[in-house]
Amino acid sequence: MNKISSKNITILALLIFACFTVLSIGKVAESSENVIRVGAPLPLTGPLSPEGKKQVEGYDLWAETANKAGGVKVGNQRYRVEIVYHDYQSNTPRAVQLAEKLITEDKVHITFSPFGSGATKAASGVSEKYGIPTMAATASSEEVYNQGYRYLFNTFTPNQTLTEPLSDIVKERLPNAKKVAILARNDLFPLAIANVMNDSAKKRGFDVAFFEKYAIGTMDHASALTLIRAAKPDWIFATGYINDLILIRKQMGDLGISASVVTMIAGPAYKEFVDATGPLAENVTSASWWHPAVRYKGEDVFGTTENYNKMFEKKYGRVPDYAQASASAAGAIFQVAIEKAGTLDRKKIRETLAGLEVLTFWGPIKFGSTGQIISLKPPVFQIQNGTQVVIYPSEIQQAEFRVGVK
Amino acid sequence: MRRLLLCLVVVFVLVLPLWGNNYIIRLTTMMMLYSVLSLSWNFIGGFAGYPSFATASFFGLGAYSGAISQVHGVPMFLAWPVGGLVAALFAAALGLAILHLRGHYFAIATLVVAEVLREIVNSWTDLTGGGMGLNLPILRLDVNAQARLFYFSMFVLAIMTVIAASYVSKRRLGFGLRCIKQNEDAANMIGINTTVYKTTAFVLSAVFVGCAGAFYASWVNYIEPGDVFEVLLSVKPIVMVLLGSSGTVIGPVLGAVVFLFLEEMVWRNFLTFHAGVLGLLIVALVLFLPGGLLGLYFRRVFHWKESR
Amino acid sequence: MLIAQIIVNGLVLGGLYACIASGFSLVWGVLNIINILHGSFIIIGSYVAYFAYNYLGIHPFLSVTIAAIVLFLFGYLIQAGIINRVVAAPVLTTLTLTFGLELLVNNSLLAAFKADYRKVILENPLGVIDMGGIIVPLDRLATMVLALILTGLLYWVLNASRIGRAIVAVRMDREAAALMGVKVKQIYAITFGLGAVMAGAAGSVMSVIFPISPLNNILFLGKAFVICVLGGLGSVPGAMIGGLALGMIESFGGLIFGPEHAMTLAFSLLILLLIFRPTGIIGKRGYQ
Repeated sequence: MNKISSKNITILALLIFACFTVLSIGKVAESSENVIRVGAPLPLTGPLSPEGKKQVEGYDLWAETANKAGGVKVGNQRYRVEIVYHDYQSNTPRAVQLAEKLITEDKVHITFSPFGSGATKAASGVSEKYGIPTMAATASSEEVYNQGYRYLFNTFTPNQTLTEPLSDIVKERLPNAKKVAILARNDLFPLAIANVMNDSAKKRGFDVAFFEKYAIGTMDHASALTLIRAAKPDWIFATGYINDLILIRKQMGDLGISASVVTMIAGPAYKEFVDATGPLAENVTSASWWHPAVRYKGEDVFGTTENYNKMFEKKYGRVPDYAQASASAAGAIFQVAIEKAGTLDRKKIRETLAGLEVLTFWGPIKFGSTGQIISLKPPVFQIQNGTQVVIYPSEIQQAEFRVGVK
Repeated sequence: MRRLLLCLVVVFVLVLPLWGNNYIIRLTTMMMLYSVLSLSWNFIGGFAGYPSFATASFFGLGAYSGAISQVHGVPMFLAWPVGGLVAALFAAALGLAILHLRGHYFAIATLVVAEVLREIVNSWTDLTGGGMGLNLPILRLDVNAQARLFYFSMFVLAIMTVIAASYVSKRRLGFGLRCIKQNEDAANMIGINTTVYKTTAFVLSAVFVGCAGAFYASWVNYIEPGDVFEVLLSVKPIVMVLLGSSGTVIGPVLGAVVFLFLEEMVWRNFLTFHAGVLGLLIVALVLFLPGGLLGLYFRRVFHWKESR
Repeated sequence: MLIAQIIVNGLVLGGLYACIASGFSLVWGVLNIINILHGSFIIIGSYVAYFAYNYLGIHPFLSVTIAAIVLFLFGYLIQAGIINRVVAAPVLTTLTLTFGLELLVNNSLLAAFKADYRKVILENPLGVIDMGGIIVPLDRLATMVLALILTGLLYWVLNASRIGRAIVAVRMDREAAALMGVKVKQIYAITFGLGAVMAGAAGSVMSVIFPISPLNNILFLGKAFVICVLGGLGSVPGAMIGGLALGMIESFGGLIFGPEHAMTLAFSLLILLLIFRPTGIIGKRGYQ
């Protein structure tokens, strides 16, 4: 056809009209009962799905616990918590789209961020535009919070709070250690924390002999590891997500690489890491924002940390790690803020959050001017005899730091 | 009659924001974006018959150049043409390098270019934010006003693309491209400067896509290399054109509308199997509907014996 | 010393790559179809090995045979049932078709096995050999050797067997082969099946070193592209050379440019080759 024929246009017009009619049917009816709807866009399928699932566990536990206790108190009414999940398939643009859908179609009151610093940053624009209080349970990098947004809050302190105490420990125990090698995944959080580690190390006089990035999805780290081996570092610091770190640790073993200290973020906190690497996990260090060994007497719906661990184990049959705890904490903090504000008005909730100072099972909660939490003391831990033990801070220290990773 | 119908469609689109909520508006904006992509691909793939998988490259380049401009203070409406220009220049250069390839080799070259660009953008952290992505300044404008602003802007871009496609189709350029598709050597012999024609088509397939990319960046406020250089961005426009029927002007638009509709329906109902259903659609399309929907309507017989 | 280790790394990787690409190259050369499904075939082979090992106790190197059978059937059916219908169609059609099939197959794998990375963890790991400072993990070495053996087998089949000669004949001249009594469509199906077999076998063998997940399909495919253009199409020796070349390029590229650029390097090379020398390093389109 050489021109825009009238028949073609008719078809087009009819089709467009039909499409819209059908799509408009899928609207959600607004319910009149007392429900707080919380939006949760998560990667339930795709490469990040293991992480997404952990978030679901954490959120569900909170919703269940809150509802069992009678619901969230808003003024003198009780509201049931309902979490609205949508799967963005580990695809960031979809996460942004879904964040908007949750607000405009599902009519949620508040939202949780998608997984990870990247998607959190992307979706935060949407919640800022609409003025929806949003809690990020998995985003620590400061770059996420430098937009001047007022509706975004989170549960992870900046990356330095992980690398600084760790660097102090290494510097203190190994005064003769000189060289550090850093291998980072080229992704928002892993790269950001590697950069921060670079600064922490340099500040203490370490020589960063190697600092390279690897592409997302790298399946073979032999070249990078060969170069690391040649540099003979005292301290190897690797970042990535659990699958990357398992692979790196294994290939380190294959290539016969050993060092005084091997630190990996963010895999060793999970039992899956220990299971997959076996004896290679011994003496690997890591840091995270929470550990089941911490002991706080919180004012939130979970109360003490021990109580949280118990409830988690009862529901899921295993010990929680910081990922699920963070998700539950996100919900618990929202609950505290709403109950304190006494209303579901979003602006008031936001203001309450901004000024909040409360102790929870997750730790002390206070947000800085960017919305990022500033009050945590992230534990440093090490894998000894197949389990994670806390070696810092001293209040909850379970064991001494051990040197030497084969 | 034709004009009346055209006007009706245009009026419908213009009037939609009055009764649609932001989600419907977003969806329609997406539909128009898809139309721009499919119409653009049609220049090189439908008219000239070159299987280009370069749409993602152009989109990504447009997105990043537009975004980087905006981050450095260029106003949004200027950043979009910048995206288009960068993509067009790249297409011209790339075209000169690879348009002498035929068939599979051309397809692979275009496929791979997007990957290389993605990695370059990923590594150039200082300029592009690398793996950490790039945030654009958000408009301090009411949400509803914003939705409508983007809606109408994309509408303008889509109309421009349709006009370009219609113009090319009627003129010598379109005729020349069709000759190239039928038999490039013969076209050469009868005096058509195939290099110029092909490169023009290639550039045309890039300029609107580049603008759309820059638009997309402003629209979502955050881009990552993996998102804007994604290979599916190259494949979907092809599917849309195959769906609608290639070589026509309305075909790609039709394909885009139907495709988006299917995508939304599938997405709502098949949580874990979207890609699979898309795959199924593609297979069904290729096997049973080779002429596209319009071809079905007119019962055209399309010849498979094409020059390679 | 470092250089020696890099060379060894490159060779070990290269042998594997040769196996990955040989099937892909065969299908492209004979059927003129770019099989986007190739990556997923490899992954299916890996899953076969994984489940065979964890549930039946069969060592991945042995389950190559199971993977081969499974994939041959799968490949044959796909070609006979689906692709053969449009096998003479233009590039765009066949490419889009295999793309669609790949989406379908890959999504099915994801739905069935989830995205989690699995690894075959051998009960008795093979350990490493230390040759004066150069360390070669034995499982990688074994994998490379096996991969080369498989590639050699393919070459032998193409040269020595009747079916192999028929495939080569179809490759050279379809009409003439048909006139000589060769059932072209069946040969197509067998060829596609063979391509799938090579992919599955490679996957089986690689399951001991690479993590298994449906998400790796594009990685394998990308490498296969580069190797085919490097080594020339439809030629097993070509795939071998291309594979080894790519292994070395990645290894040295990692040293010079940093590990994260390895793939970009390979692709840039691909584009340059396509622009200036599309027939590859060998320089002619081989027939075996």
